[in-house]
Amino acid sequence: MAETSEEVAVLVQRVVKDITNAFRRNPHITDRCHMHPATSKSRLYHCVERERCSRVCKMRKNQQRRLLGRKELILSGTLNPIKDLHLGKLALTKFPKSPETWIHRRWVLQQLIQETSLPSFVTKGSLGIIPAERTQQLIREEMEVCGEAAGRYPSNYNAWSHRIWVLQHLAKLDVKILLDELSSTKHWASLHVSDHSGFHYRQFLLKSLVSQTVTDGSILEQNTLRSEPAIVLPKDEEAVASAEESRINLPHLLEEEVEFSTDLIDSYPGHETLWCHRRHVFYLQHHLNGRFPHSVVQLSPADSPGGTLSDLHLIPAGPHTSQAMEVDGLSDSSKQGYSQETKRLKRTPAPDSLSLEMEHRFIDQVLSTCRNVEQARFANAYRKWLVTLSQ
Amino acid sequence: MRLYSLSVLYKGDAKAVLLKAAYDVSSFSFFQRSSVQEFMTFTSQLIVERSSKGSRASVKEQEYLCHVYVRNDSLAGVVIADNEYPSRVAFTLLEKVLDEFSRQVDRIDWPVGSPDTIQYAGLDGHLSRYQNPREADPMTKVQAELDETKIILHNTMESLLERGEKLDDLVSKSEVLGIQSKAFYKTARKQNSCCAVM
Repeated sequence: MAETSEEVAVLVQRVVKDITNAFRRNPHITDRCHMHPATSKSRLYHCVERERCSRVCKMRKNQQRRLLGRKELILSGTLNPIKDLHLGKLALTKFPKSPETWIHRRWVLQQLIQETSLPSFVTKGSLGIIPAERTQQLIREEMEVCGEAAGRYPSNYNAWSHRIWVLQHLAKLDVKILLDELSSTKHWASLHVSDHSGFHYRQFLLKSLVSQTVTDGSILEQNTLRSEPAIVLPKDEEAVASAEESRINLPHLLEEEVEFSTDLIDSYPGHETLWCHRRHVFYLQHHLNGRFPHSVVQLSPADSPGGTLSDLHLIPAGPHTSQAMEVDGLSDSSKQGYSQETKRLKRTPAPDSLSLEMEHRFIDQVLSTCRNVEQARFANAYRKWLVTLSQ
Repeated sequence: MRLYSLSVLYKGDAKAVLLKAAYDVSSFSFFQRSSVQEFMTFTSQLIVERSSKGSRASVKEQEYLCHVYVRNDSLAGVVIADNEYPSRVAFTLLEKVLDEFSRQVDRIDWPVGSPDTIQYAGLDGHLSRYQNPREADPMTKVQAELDETKIILHNTMESLLERGEKLDDLVSKSEVLGIQSKAFYKTARKQNSCCAVM
């Protein structure tokens, strides 16, 4: 190893060049093994160490310091952040859980979105505000990296929480991206029925969609998952019209998720994750049923709640046009609790009797046909939980 | 959910003879693969040796589930899966494979056969097709004729062994495991993670 800082600088440059060349020759390096040993990351780490601690004689292998070294290289412009992300991707093939790698990755991504003078979000006609192409590409890449890491280690919490972070900070919870993610992770989830983190991800997607769609007229929904307030919706007529078109059918989505859950529980007995997931979805559904646009409270407190809500959603309710919620057929005349909905379970009205009944029937069906001890246990626990919900 | 291996064996009086096997070790890192394969062979043979004729069992070992079906005519099948793969489908697969095998390979060849001599090519295809249980076996919500209550459940490999028998001894005596695999096993044992290789 070189002694003087000059020689070290040269060495650093050479290593970075080697890595760059390796990528240029084979941009599809997917496995760490393919990298030529001479261009291995460890050499880079050692060089950076040396540069930083030129007085220290011993090579330290502390990963924090290595990553700190990489950060310095990026900040000084020596190492291209995209290349660093690629390096990280390789590292994750061997260490899919490594928290430091994920943390470092987020730092790099933040550098990337901050460094450019180009906007990360653009307005694209009727689509409203969407992420720029460059941002979309970054997002796609991150989704892929997370997906791979999730496949390499069961219930990879770090990979899935990174995925969530990307949606929050890079994608800003763009609805289309959320919907895409919901559909594209469905197949994976069906093949990983005990992956709790994977299903938690679906719960996050649904929750984000719910809180974005259901906005009070006057009080913007405070989404605790995001640090920013909800996306301000376009005000002009054209945008309103198209917003209506792109309005997502939340109840339908949730219903689909319940069917998905039923299908999996029947096909793969004895997985607690699936039952857990069902609780979340059911809760979201009944939570949704209990919430209505503020307009309903303001405009027709005395109106019969049995009337369809489909015409109510067209009525603007305040300074902002509330993004309406399609609630076909979900209105239940027995529900009187329109007033002051809160998020708290206790104060939300009881889930409507029809959906509760259906759930109980589902439990009965499972218990009568299942021969798996665990399945029976989970079914009974679910029943108990449903009972507490309606108290 | 994953299948890792599918093997057909003959339960002889003294030991189990491997007739044919298919493996999917793609999810393991490159350098582990040959050892993993050897361990799966070792495990399959051991399980068949310790299971009685006319029985079905599922043996749990860490995050793996080994399903075995030994027929009354001593033909046996073992499928090694993860703990997400539905056992119902695993047993359907075993039934199917043994049925097909017994029709294609003469009974007389079973006691003395080996993967090189046995003429049966269906295993790889079955293994790959059954990776996705729903595509391979349109599952009916109604239970199959198979009575799942008759399937013996073992919570560890150890529970298959006789009193006083140690897995470590069986591993070191095994002819199926190479030196490297045995070394891997020793290291894994030391680190207190049995069969971490698998």
